[in-house]
Amino acid sequence: MENNYHVCTGCSLLCDDIEVEYGTETINKIYTACRVGVAHMKESKEKVTFLVDNKPVDEEKALSETVKILKNAKNPLIFGLGASTNEAQKQAIELGKKINATIDDSSSFCFGSVVEALVTNKIKTCTLEDVRNKGDVIIFWGSNPADSHPRHLSKHSYFPRGSEKQRGWEEERTAIAIDIRKSHTAKICGNYFIQIPQGGDVELIDALISGLSGKLPKTSYNYPPKKILELANILKGAKFGIIFVGPGLIYSLENLAPLFRLMQALNEKSNFHLVPMVGNCNMRGFNENLFTETGYVNSVKFENGIVKHGSEYSIVESLKAKTVDAALIIGSDPFSSLPRSIAKSLLEIPIISMGPSETLTTKKAKVHINTAISGVESGGSAIRMDGTLVSFKPIVETKNPLEEYILKRIMEAL
Amino acid sequence: MDFGSFLAAPEIKVKVVTYRDIFQDKAMIENLFGDEYKHISAVITLDSADLKQLNVKKGDTVILKNSFGRVVVRAEESGYEPSHRGIAYMPKSSWSNMLVSDETCGKGIPRFQDISLTVTSAKGEKVTELEF
Repeated sequence: MENNYHVCTGCSLLCDDIEVEYGTETINKIYTACRVGVAHMKESKEKVTFLVDNKPVDEEKALSETVKILKNAKNPLIFGLGASTNEAQKQAIELGKKINATIDDSSSFCFGSVVEALVTNKIKTCTLEDVRNKGDVIIFWGSNPADSHPRHLSKHSYFPRGSEKQRGWEEERTAIAIDIRKSHTAKICGNYFIQIPQGGDVELIDALISGLSGKLPKTSYNYPPKKILELANILKGAKFGIIFVGPGLIYSLENLAPLFRLMQALNEKSNFHLVPMVGNCNMRGFNENLFTETGYVNSVKFENGIVKHGSEYSIVESLKAKTVDAALIIGSDPFSSLPRSIAKSLLEIPIISMGPSETLTTKKAKVHINTAISGVESGGSAIRMDGTLVSFKPIVETKNPLEEYILKRIMEAL
Repeated sequence: MDFGSFLAAPEIKVKVVTYRDIFQDKAMIENLFGDEYKHISAVITLDSADLKQLNVKKGDTVILKNSFGRVVVRAEESGYEPSHRGIAYMPKSSWSNMLVSDETCGKGIPRFQDISLTVTSAKGEKVTELEF
């Protein structure tokens, strides 16, 4: 038995202070991690599985079937990779180039546009350490870390003491929740919860901008102007403000223009940063790795050395238009995460799935390969929600193959 | 009181707001096909006045229906949330995704937060199984 600090890859916080008691192939006890992190780290299973048509086969048979499907496809889709290491993501991008694939991840229907704005320096951002050490006004807009990133509030954004915030949340931090539902995070924010109607975000943004300029803020849903002015005054006084943007805000915006407007107005009066509440442990890594390679964060089509990009190459539009004729799905479950009305198109094409657990997608796959869990059974690196690179070692040994290894073998066989 | 209230089986229209839940995420990782995940995911939280109008008690099953799908889930009554008649809450899952529109305006982004549907009592019908 050994004791050591490890990284939890259960979400994009990538907490690096996890203590674990473990044997060679099993984790016995986990300290410090949240409920989700513990479940993730204990997910490790001993069985090695290669399936074709839901029947057990050996590695060679699974790989030969995989290669056959990809060779026969004119426009294969590579999708997922949000829970993969940077190393596996880069390998998948190389594979995409080789087979002229469409490549995408779940960011195309969530945070992709925000991450793109961050990597192209269109929005001011900061690290989670900056938030812990300096953050005084923290806004959770359409985000609910109490459920989605359980240690966010205690490790980084609200409760901890920081180097410049020694008196902590009791005196030095103001947390504000803006949402359409009173979430658990909103409960913690107490009187600083702004409940707006569905789709009311843009109006509140513009009302806040008015309030920041001392004008009378108005909304069609008659949110009390006095409360908006009070909020604007708090934001004006921020020495180090942060907006943690969640899917609730993203889904409410037609484009990012209102967010750019708000950040500009805030930074004319005070000092504000934005961090996206990315879900998967390395979705941001996929965006940044693909951006480095192609200049785009998602929804890319490789075609004989040319890179094409646009929403028509997103998983959703590719499935709706039925433009892809095979799918390699890595560490993702689009049958669960997409609307059924869209995911049903996947039933018409052969699917190869790779990942550590049984899902609706693995059940529908022609080929399934059980791979090691990144950060638990395999080492590597990932990019945290704030853009910080985090490296990790495997905690336990596994007989399950690494994603990177399988992707390399597919490349070789092709 | 709307027309639906006078039907033999009362029917109400609601807009659904989906959300994340830590217990659901944990249950999903442990076993997507397990009873715990189904219990936490296949559920709709309604305002107590809406439950009363439907003549449904908390824990009873209800039918959720729109032009994109039909699912049977468990009905729950709001706890700490302020009154929200006409708005219902569901954890984001395969069950809520069965009711999401395929309309995307070519942008690749489904309308996960724009779900309108009708709710009626399922009169004991079992919760829809997780399958595809």
